[in-house]
Amino acid sequence: MMTRLFPIFRAGLLACLALVGLLAAAQAASQPLQPEDAFALNVTPSDDGSQTLSWQIADGYYLYRGKFVAETADGAAIPLDLPRGERHDDPYFGPEEIFRDDVAATLPAQNGPVTLTWQGCQQDGICYAPQMARLGTDGTVTRLSAGGEPSPEGAANAFSQADDAAWSPGGETQDSGPARGDLTLAQDDGLIEGLALRGGNALVILGFLGFGLLLAFTPCVLPMVPIVVGMLAGQGEPLTARRGLVLTGAYVLAMASAFGALGVVAAWSGANLQVALQSPWAIGVVAILFVALALSMFGLYELQMPSTLQRRLGQVAGRRGSVAGAAGLGFTSALIVGPCVTAPLAGALIYIAQTGDVLLGAVALFALGLGQGLPLLAVGAFGPRILPRSGIWMQRVKQAFGVIFLGFAVWLAGRVLPGPAMLALWAALLVATGVFLGALDRLDSGSPFRVRLSAALGMMLAFTGMVQGVGAALGADDPLRPLAPLASRNGPVSEAADLSFARVTTSDELDQALASAEGKPALVYVTADWCVTCRSIERGPLSDPTVNAALEDLAPIKIDVSDFNAEAQALMGRLAAAGPPTMVFLNAARSEASGSRLIGEVGSEDMLASIGKVRQ
Amino acid sequence: MNIHRRMMLGAGAGLGLLGLAGGAMSLRARADELTVDDVLHDPDGPVLGNAEGDVTIVEYFDYQCPFCKRNHPTLTDVVAEDGNIRLVMKDWPIFGAPSVHASQLVLGATGMGEYHKANSALMATEAKLSNEQIDKVLGDAGIDVAAAQDAYRADRDKWDGFLARNAAQAAQLGLRGTPAFIIGRTIYPGALDAATLRGAISQAREAS
Repeated sequence: MMTRLFPIFRAGLLACLALVGLLAAAQAASQPLQPEDAFALNVTPSDDGSQTLSWQIADGYYLYRGKFVAETADGAAIPLDLPRGERHDDPYFGPEEIFRDDVAATLPAQNGPVTLTWQGCQQDGICYAPQMARLGTDGTVTRLSAGGEPSPEGAANAFSQADDAAWSPGGETQDSGPARGDLTLAQDDGLIEGLALRGGNALVILGFLGFGLLLAFTPCVLPMVPIVVGMLAGQGEPLTARRGLVLTGAYVLAMASAFGALGVVAAWSGANLQVALQSPWAIGVVAILFVALALSMFGLYELQMPSTLQRRLGQVAGRRGSVAGAAGLGFTSALIVGPCVTAPLAGALIYIAQTGDVLLGAVALFALGLGQGLPLLAVGAFGPRILPRSGIWMQRVKQAFGVIFLGFAVWLAGRVLPGPAMLALWAALLVATGVFLGALDRLDSGSPFRVRLSAALGMMLAFTGMVQGVGAALGADDPLRPLAPLASRNGPVSEAADLSFARVTTSDELDQALASAEGKPALVYVTADWCVTCRSIERGPLSDPTVNAALEDLAPIKIDVSDFNAEAQALMGRLAAAGPPTMVFLNAARSEASGSRLIGEVGSEDMLASIGKVRQ
Repeated sequence: MNIHRRMMLGAGAGLGLLGLAGGAMSLRARADELTVDDVLHDPDGPVLGNAEGDVTIVEYFDYQCPFCKRNHPTLTDVVAEDGNIRLVMKDWPIFGAPSVHASQLVLGATGMGEYHKANSALMATEAKLSNEQIDKVLGDAGIDVAAAQDAYRADRDKWDGFLARNAAQAAQLGLRGTPAFIIGRTIYPGALDAATLRGAISQAREAS
């Protein structure tokens, strides 16, 4: 007993230790103060219009005298009468002055808003990124973030004056706090939330159901269906529709559950290998694996479980004719995978492992099992007459799987291959598939409907493939837009995208652009020449007439960070922008609408939704 | 019956294709988010220590940040003593133009195979630097400053992209300044003493 318990005990102990470690880490991580607590700015207006700026500096922190900057909206420096600071001797490069405890300076009366910058460190700890605030003429202070976290406190008094041009980054960047902390940003959505949010998953599940159904029509599954129903029913008993449905239902549900469990295992192991699976090397191996599976589907060789294992599992079946027996049979049948099912199942599991999404894995594989069991349910309810006759067409189903696997291999390889190479592979696959469907076969007046349909489909595929080939030759990298290089060469598309954007490269230009669009909401779009995704946004949603129409009510401003200098960095810091492409939507009061920020590749619908949030 | 069969097959194949498209979409959406891999394995990021090490330490630093530099010998000693750590140095210039200048030159020197030499020379300085001082320190260390400048310009897209990613990651991770360390999957802001570093490393090792 003790020996059996010991590993459990040890695991528990390790878990506790890990937890303590995590807590300790969290403790260490919270040591430096937030910059606004380390250096608290206070502004006191005087009767003569001047303002006294004072910084309360936390114990063990200091500010650099040389890092204080005050500027008017058009970038002119305002001298600050700072006191002499403590000499902070640097034996190598001479003295530097710093302030501890507190420091105050007088800002002479101003006509417009003033931007203040200061920078300091925690002694022996961290040096903060420059901190910025905007001072309204009436003494309102708006903290602007730079480099670090967006500052919340300014939001409350930011909108006192229209020409203040003061705004604060939206709340949602703030809310992502815990996600940043543990660095598992991409994966730590709640699972169910994640599933609901990523619309693509509904399609994945539906697709797996379809695959399952297709699997049921492969040559080693379909002929077995009446036999399985016979086994479930037991000998000699007449089978009513209801009884048949219950028995086959139990069988199918059990089988689907077993598949679901396989999905969980695959996704779980994939999730743990996520970093490794993203390396080009791993992607290449998986792509080759899919090619191998495809060749198996084309009949070059068969993949099968060892027959002894199959036989042993086959003997597990329970009492015939009972619901429990049917369920037992179903569960084990999922593990006895025939030669037609092995490759597709392996493919499905590899796909799920790539996503690393456990819930998706469970649901998708369950759907696959359900799809595969549908004909069985039909036979259970209506008898074997419902099934189509077996024939050579079942081989075609198998080959269809092969083609799909090859497509999957190309799609995977496209993530590491240069765009034109991927398009060339698509061209080869599509043209070859088209030819095998009979695109080039001779038809005569006697050709049956089936042959003509297949040839027509083949022609379409071959044509699509040729367009992909032309795209590859043109150097296109998006298989959905193979002729894009042509369109952007002489079409009006890119001009339209550039038409109305005010281009901005400095903080002051941004202020001016925002000021000149007073009373209008604004779109601030961070882009750069070297940003590939930005190009596809400009060709895509930004060239969409619907989006352009909606944008008419907004002042579109383009922040060009192609030349990534300190100014560009400061701009990105102010916007708390992660990098190009980022779209920040500001309402007329220059406050970012919650949930409107768009980062990375976006579609027209995303843009329209975000535009709607700031347009009132 | 034949029509039936064809419809079923067609529906099945259609659903399958839809599924693939959906999968492609969901994987693509994921590619735009900041991933652990982006932070730990930036393809352009210079790596010190053992490139094959089982634990990765990422440091966001600035060549004018006094505590980054004062902390650097401790860090490199612990990394050398452990022998199984990838140390990824990510320039995050927050002290203005000279910091950017320093990062550009050192990254340029990377292409000449002299990252370690250039980085060590600048990390051995105290605090504030001017462009001239940076050039002199690098020159004294045996780096051809003009060649490093040219090398940076020749690979400008790559290095500017690297710097942009570093700043973007710092913002996304909510880092407040330099130095900031990512050890395994945990963020440690500020300078770390040898004992804390060793503890953080063994935690990261246990967690992986």
